[in-house]
Amino acid sequence: MSPLRVQAGGLGADQIQQIQLGGKMSDLRISSRGRVDHARPVRFSFDGKSYEGRQGDTVASALLANGVHLVGRSFKYHRPRGIVTAGSEEPNALIGTSRGPGQFEPNTRATMQEVYDGLTTESQNKWPSLKFDVGAINDRLYMLFSAGFYYKTFMWPKSFWDKVYEPFIRRAAGLGRSPTELDPDHYASRYLHCDVLIVGSGPAGLAAALTSARTGASVVVVDEQSEMGGTLLSEPSPMIEDKSAWVWLASALDELAGLPNVRLMNRTTAIGYYHQNMVGLCQKLTDHLSEVPADAPRERLWRVRAGQVILAQGAIERPMVFDGNDRPGVMMAGAAQTFLNRFGVKVGDRPVILTSHDSAWHTAFDLADAGCKVAAIVDTRTDIPPALMQAAMSRQIEVLTGHTATATGGRSRVKSIRVNPVRGGTVGTARTISCDAVLMCGGWTPSLHLFSHTKGSLEWDAKAKAYLPGHKTEAVHIAGAGRGLWGIAAALEDGAKAGADALRDLGRKAGPATYAVTGDRTGTGITQKELPTDRNPSSARAFVDFQNDVTAKDIRLAVREGMRSIEHVKRYTTNGMATDQGKLSNMNGLTIASDALGKDIPQVGLTTFRPPYTPTTFGALAGYHKGSHFEVTRKTPIDSWATENGAAFEPVALWRRAWYFPKSGEDMHKAVSRECRATRASLGIFDASTLGKIEVSGPDAVEFMNRMYTNPWAKLSPGKCRYGLLLGEDGFIRDDGVIGRIRDDLFHVTTTTGGAARVLNMMEDYLQTEWPDLQVWLTSTTEEWATIAINGPNARKLLAPLVERQDMSDAAFPHMSVAECTVAGFPSRLFRISFTGELGFEVNVPARHGRALWEKLMAAGKPYDICPYGTETMHVLRAEKGYIIIGQDTDGTVTPEDAGIGWAIGKSKPDFVGKRSLARPDIVAKGRKQLVGLLTENPKDVLVEGAQIVLDPKQAKPMKMIGHVTSAYWSEALGRSIAMAVVEGGFDRMGDTLHIPTADGGSQAAKVTGCVFYDPAGDRLKVE
Amino acid sequence: MLLIHCPYCVDTLPELEFAYAGEAHIARPANPMSQSDEEWRDFLFIRSNPRGLHAERWRHIHGCGRFFNALRDTVSDKFSVTYKAGRPRPDLEKAVQVPK
Amino acid sequence: MNAPVKSFAAVSVAVLPPVARLNLRIAPADLDTASATFGLPLPGKIGQGQAKGDRAAWCLGPDEWLLHAPEVEQAAIVADFAAVRALTPHSLTVISDREFTIAITGPSAQELLSVACPLDLLRMAPGTAKRTLFDSAQVVLIRDSDDAFRIEVWRSFFPHVSELLDIALREFACGL
Repeated sequence: MSPLRVQAGGLGADQIQQIQLGGKMSDLRISSRGRVDHARPVRFSFDGKSYEGRQGDTVASALLANGVHLVGRSFKYHRPRGIVTAGSEEPNALIGTSRGPGQFEPNTRATMQEVYDGLTTESQNKWPSLKFDVGAINDRLYMLFSAGFYYKTFMWPKSFWDKVYEPFIRRAAGLGRSPTELDPDHYASRYLHCDVLIVGSGPAGLAAALTSARTGASVVVVDEQSEMGGTLLSEPSPMIEDKSAWVWLASALDELAGLPNVRLMNRTTAIGYYHQNMVGLCQKLTDHLSEVPADAPRERLWRVRAGQVILAQGAIERPMVFDGNDRPGVMMAGAAQTFLNRFGVKVGDRPVILTSHDSAWHTAFDLADAGCKVAAIVDTRTDIPPALMQAAMSRQIEVLTGHTATATGGRSRVKSIRVNPVRGGTVGTARTISCDAVLMCGGWTPSLHLFSHTKGSLEWDAKAKAYLPGHKTEAVHIAGAGRGLWGIAAALEDGAKAGADALRDLGRKAGPATYAVTGDRTGTGITQKELPTDRNPSSARAFVDFQNDVTAKDIRLAVREGMRSIEHVKRYTTNGMATDQGKLSNMNGLTIASDALGKDIPQVGLTTFRPPYTPTTFGALAGYHKGSHFEVTRKTPIDSWATENGAAFEPVALWRRAWYFPKSGEDMHKAVSRECRATRASLGIFDASTLGKIEVSGPDAVEFMNRMYTNPWAKLSPGKCRYGLLLGEDGFIRDDGVIGRIRDDLFHVTTTTGGAARVLNMMEDYLQTEWPDLQVWLTSTTEEWATIAINGPNARKLLAPLVERQDMSDAAFPHMSVAECTVAGFPSRLFRISFTGELGFEVNVPARHGRALWEKLMAAGKPYDICPYGTETMHVLRAEKGYIIIGQDTDGTVTPEDAGIGWAIGKSKPDFVGKRSLARPDIVAKGRKQLVGLLTENPKDVLVEGAQIVLDPKQAKPMKMIGHVTSAYWSEALGRSIAMAVVEGGFDRMGDTLHIPTADGGSQAAKVTGCVFYDPAGDRLKVE
Repeated sequence: MLLIHCPYCVDTLPELEFAYAGEAHIARPANPMSQSDEEWRDFLFIRSNPRGLHAERWRHIHGCGRFFNALRDTVSDKFSVTYKAGRPRPDLEKAVQVPK
Repeated sequence: MNAPVKSFAAVSVAVLPPVARLNLRIAPADLDTASATFGLPLPGKIGQGQAKGDRAAWCLGPDEWLLHAPEVEQAAIVADFAAVRALTPHSLTVISDREFTIAITGPSAQELLSVACPLDLLRMAPGTAKRTLFDSAQVVLIRDSDDAFRIEVWRSFFPHVSELLDIALREFACGL
């Protein structure tokens, strides 16, 4: 079938109607109404077409003012969809916004995005165009996509998975398109502490704020909207304290803004409510600006710790569930009221009201008063308050009580609604009313998402037909519509009470606050399952969840197919699982599921709301942690020299370390080979400053060292040092390093670079909690010292002339010595040790002198062709000697015996950390993996670190793996490759040939050897 | 993010300053070498893992540096009490109502 | 709290010159000896500080004090403590080079710190100090007055903290 022949979406007549409506823009905008600035027109674009809005408009209100209802395609069926709400709960009107390169954002709610000059927006889920969309074929195939379709449709044949099903699911699973460029925006974060945090600035929130703030308590009020006021912005007519609602609102906000203890934050969403009254806020700072100041963050994430939290988030209007309720132009009655009163926009000229609640009647009256021809008020109830009936009659609005809605007409815009009387449970004869908007209200759901984050319980209130807050786990108060209270007077009174309660809990006393309200529009209503119909209900497209395209039929099908728990119904149908988290759909879904199950609503239960309240950008969560600031990068005092001298760097724990120092034209292999040759031939210099250093000090220091490390320390005299090995209590190697005894009561302990903090924590743990009787103190000196390693046959010749207060002769300062002296005039702790097998020294100087010492050594080393080397050469040189690297050759399951360093264990010591475990049955068992050397048959083959080892490379897959390569290098000194590996029973396999399968399907053969490849007698350490 | 009362600082501070350190009141045997394999296994690996109040160790690692003990509810995450290392576990089971 | 910060003038950030910085660990029972040796009464409660002349001390843990003194006095202080070590065991470790000190001053100093400091600084009295986190770096935060703070941060974490403060300063200057 040619795509051009697919009949889908709105074409022809609808398109013409669209254009006509577009031409009537001035009729839909009422300059005498709304809070937008009618004197300040703003131009923006939607799907490439330019539109005019007003300063203060949202994209939704501006599009509606231009007669545009069709703004997107639905997720699953690609059905045409329009604007449903006027707030952040919007399920349909998700658009892409572009503010510049890399500043594309999908799934922005058109009802929240403010227009500004130059804003570019686009619709989503359509191809090739919004009005003509090929994907709408799904709508014709909807039987395939019913509840659980993922589980049913994609079952077989297996071969379809890779080529057909997975690509389909992936394409279908996304809403909008992801941006591909780097996000150039800044994001910020802030901590904030206050006495009272108030979420929501409607009448309840404002009353709570006034009551709290007047006592001097620090108060923060947040609202996700661009301006504060909540429902008052949509309800200008009531009088509060003898002022019109908007005049009262302005005076209340003025008073709050004038108080130094109050912070008012608009465009700020409370996204999550965490333990102990920590509330996460996302503040939007620039998305409404056409000119963004330099360095301005786009969004700021606030972590607020509040003494008391007051949730005054109001209620969300519930849709009616009936066939065709998703047609563009079918929207919430409260939204239409907001568009009219706050934005000065009529959503249509000839609306029909479909309701089960009094509130929508007032929408009808406001629209009629604004010049709309309200075609009818259709109420499912039969018992209507006489005052409402009278008010409708006086406006000559037809009223149909006890009626149901059974269909809508039109394609990309509603043109009619089909309604039927219901008498005694029987649906009567249909009648079609032509209209250009259907404004529905199925009651109101208290907005308790944040309360739900705290695991506060929600309890069903049969009278309010709603879940209301029950047991609280935090210092929180809920005010207004969140408690099922309706009307401005009730909200103000309840807000003031919540404020007073919060202050009481803070130990403060609030003054009394009462508010006289006239013209309040209180009301009641009922809630219900999908509306009854005279047609075949199984072909009805009565949507419950607009964003995930879930219908009433899907929910009933899920129950028929055995889903009993609401959690299962939710997952099977995906009801409430879209980005709006079911703000509109959860209660309708629950009502229908409970009807299908034949249970009461509270017996079926609720699903859980989780943060964030509305979709939040990754940028806001990342904050300052992006680019070079993504994570801490620790640099040594010598890092700047390495940078200036062209070093390549590698990350080691949080540090960056010089990896190698390539000369011009050298690759890594050539540079490392040269560094290795130079060090073994004459002299190498290495920045070892990242090694962890711990000062262990106190009368019991030697006893402490004996208990912590495997080695014996009592006989180590001051001025000597020793290799120390640290185990966990489980007997496995945790860390190692050279430890010098500076005084009887003072040890200079070194640790691995990555292990410094961990080792200090472990030492503190034993000291504080197991051996508090020991008089020992631990201090980290990692960063007090810069450490420079000098290795090579000429190391002493370089250092001796620079050292004062220490005889550098082999006799006076033999291998494994430590001294406090001066080097090149700097106070120093000098170690004679070697991690290369060459004559070696490590010079520690106060960190500020690190670079100066390095430069002096480089200058003094010129006659010896001194060669700076990096971590890669260090690794090669140590591997040639079989010295292990903790965390590379060990992995937390290697004992000292496994690693071949059993000699480091003080066997006569009665106890040390891990000693008992060395006798555990599994640790003394045969067949443990042991660290051995590997020499490849082909000396040019350098094995891959991490490669698995097998006995027979020809065995069937999966092969039995007996170990893996831990270290592998080209050894310049030996002119061949070397490797270390852990191998099952490795010590008993000396001389055996093992095989290392390669990624290309081949394998490399290698012979098992000992780990010391170079200078096994250790003669090179003994240079006189 | 929790607030944690450090019994050494006598101050209630953000969780970020603290590090968890496993179950409390598991003393290292005075003479490990005299332990049977089973006893030593239990000391190393066997933990109570309760639903409800759990005695556990924390360290004020980015503060005063002290290890201390706490009773915390593993269902609600919340701390009931913190106390200095070496002190016995407070008897809170009867006093504290664990929320459902 | 409503007053927006309009300019750099509201807060300034500077790196301070080096100081003799020592970490003293001693049993609280021996505090008098330490006080006599250092020449000022060491505070006994975690967080408290004490200053005399150009020497200062803050209690950071139950047996831990941070000492500050002019650089030229460092060797003498080390020698004075060494002289009492035999009778009064303790640990005195020079950490002058371990850390850098950043001064944050001005009416908006507290708010600037709130970009990465989780503490409620309203509860932190002038003259006190505490070890805490600034973003992911461990620091010692000293409050000298309502409008003046110092951050002592390990040398290798300094660039991270300092760059973050720079970003925050620019953010404050833009007024949003």
